[in-house]
Amino acid sequence: MQLDFVNRELTIKLVYYGPALSGKTTNLQALHKAAEPGSSGRLMTLETKDDRTLFFDLLPLTFRNQGNLAVRLKVFTVPGQVIHASTRRLVVQGADGIAFIADSRSNETQHNTESFMDLRENLKQHGLTLKQMPLIIQFNKRDLPDVRSDAEIAELASKGREPVYLAVATRGIGVVESMIGLLHLTWSALDAEHDLNKKFGFDAAAFLAQVAQKLGNPKPVPEILRACVGGALDVLRPEAE
Amino acid sequence: MIPPPAAAKTFDELTLGHGAALEDLIDRDALGEMAKSFYELFGVPLRIFSEDGKLLGDAADQIPLYTFVNSVRAGRALLQDVVGKVKSLALPDDGMANFPCATGESYLACAIQYDGKRIGRIILGPFVSDATSEPPAALFALDTSLDPARLRELYAALPRAEPDAVVKLARHLERTLDLLLFSGHRALLTSNMHLASVRESFRELEDKNEKLQTAFDRLKELDRLKSNFLATVSHELRTPLTSIIGYSEMLFEGLAGDLTSEQREFVQTIRDKGEQLLQLIKGLLDLSKLESGTMSLRKSQTDIFGILRDVAQTMNPTARKKDVEIAVEVENGLPLIWADAERLRQVFLNLTENAIKFTPPKGKVTLSAKLTSLDAAHSDDAGGVVILSARRTAIEFRVADTGIGIPDAEKPRVFDAFYQVDSSSTREAGGTGLGLSIVRRLVDGHDGVVRIVDNTPKGTVFVVTIPVKRATIS
Repeated sequence: MQLDFVNRELTIKLVYYGPALSGKTTNLQALHKAAEPGSSGRLMTLETKDDRTLFFDLLPLTFRNQGNLAVRLKVFTVPGQVIHASTRRLVVQGADGIAFIADSRSNETQHNTESFMDLRENLKQHGLTLKQMPLIIQFNKRDLPDVRSDAEIAELASKGREPVYLAVATRGIGVVESMIGLLHLTWSALDAEHDLNKKFGFDAAAFLAQVAQKLGNPKPVPEILRACVGGALDVLRPEAE
Repeated sequence: MIPPPAAAKTFDELTLGHGAALEDLIDRDALGEMAKSFYELFGVPLRIFSEDGKLLGDAADQIPLYTFVNSVRAGRALLQDVVGKVKSLALPDDGMANFPCATGESYLACAIQYDGKRIGRIILGPFVSDATSEPPAALFALDTSLDPARLRELYAALPRAEPDAVVKLARHLERTLDLLLFSGHRALLTSNMHLASVRESFRELEDKNEKLQTAFDRLKELDRLKSNFLATVSHELRTPLTSIIGYSEMLFEGLAGDLTSEQREFVQTIRDKGEQLLQLIKGLLDLSKLESGTMSLRKSQTDIFGILRDVAQTMNPTARKKDVEIAVEVENGLPLIWADAERLRQVFLNLTENAIKFTPPKGKVTLSAKLTSLDAAHSDDAGGVVILSARRTAIEFRVADTGIGIPDAEKPRVFDAFYQVDSSSTREAGGTGLGLSIVRRLVDGHDGVVRIVDNTPKGTVFVVTIPVKRATIS
């Protein structure tokens, strides 16, 4: 998080993590497509000539004049390929929240696990633990055959702490919900630490509603948040309003 | 050298958006060229400023009207006022504002935004609307000394454009610039990411190197301890062994009374085995001294033929017992060599003993010496061959046998301590496996080389090359 007091501007860094080809970039593309032109900048992709993410994708989203504060979201992806370990470590540094994009297919389970261990290791290198980090998990590619069943995921999710979302990023399904969930957790954590709501007269609920609106989802925020299976969305909140 | 590990900070600065300035993202000259081409195409002058007011690109001809107006004091003041106001014009949220001058022409200021931040402005103008034909009264009122007809003429020559069209032009320019900025930013990020990744990999390697270095230091220390241990133990073993040998000798010589022949035989065996053990311990001691570098060689001018003849004489009984012939062939007129005679003798005794050991009956062992030369650079690969390869005169010794030979794969390893090519033949031939490693270290100590070549038709030749004179480099 970067707070610019002079311009009353807050920058939040969100990172989409996950194994190679799990759909992190596709998530960002879907968000970019869904976003109103005024609130989203260009999606920047630093890619190799074979179209795989080399360093990262970066999607800037700006929400002006919320209360007394302009909020800028910088959404990054990391390259999933194993060889880019050092890049992943660089990108994940200073992340305020992480969305872990998992591949739903049964035969990708191992890759999900490895990537998650990698995330844990990289956070550790920056002196962070998963426990401190606002984190949601998205099971992507729900439209493919041979995916782990909804029941299986729900069963596992009910045991876990992190909110779990189901998504088909190529069709934009579940993408905004995941994002709102992540943003909700991240904001709660940042507010708990920095007391942002009070300091800046910031209305977090209205902010989330605005983001959802600008990302093309006009439903009430509580309803959007309920799209997750398992986990606890309010685990990091200091207290319920 | 290696830049400080500030990469992560740079990365955040760049991506979280407080670092990039217009000048960083875009080439100034290219920006100027773009502005000029734009001016040529649309005829509206334009200037591009950075956020702190620095002029970065400029495409405007002298405006004759301004030159004319500038000649009077009121005109100068007016123009200065206009320039200041346009440059600092407050821009609304949509980033665009029009500035109408009192003298009738207009300017349009347009913010350059990138990533939601204003990083500069474009100023288009002056221009007058096509519809305007007569200069405003304010222009004539400026100074009565200005010729109205000339003013009218110059006013008519001002760049002409419709305000709506200029707004469109500005929007177009804004979008073009945005694309350029985006590309520039992307390139900047990519190169910085490359740097950051390299630094990160470098840091990882440094880490690993450090661990390796620690492990290496530890091993070196262990090696030193091993050598110390060997030296101490050898020394402690030798002392009681000397007593064992001494007392068995005294027994054998009957100093404690006569012995039966069987007793003499037993005592003889005790003494022989004691001697054998002593040789082994001496070998170990030599090796550990050589390894720890504490063995000092007492070098002097040494006669080669004397040494080889002596070795042949010493080994003659052993050879005769095995029915192996020993020959010494030394070139005439060989120079004296700078060496430790005793250690050199040890080298050739070792090699000759080995040769006899592995040569079957009716075989032949030849000791020879001849003059040759040696590359000064032979002993290390530190480079500088061109400089170091001054050849030195050397003596090449050969100990050739007609024995079982050494397979190629084994040749590099036979100089390792305790290494035996074939343990079954060792059982038969005896030996500790220390001899050749001592030979190698002694030859090293003489700044020489030892290598193995095949003998024809069969057997092995150990070739020892030792420089005649001491190296001049201390």
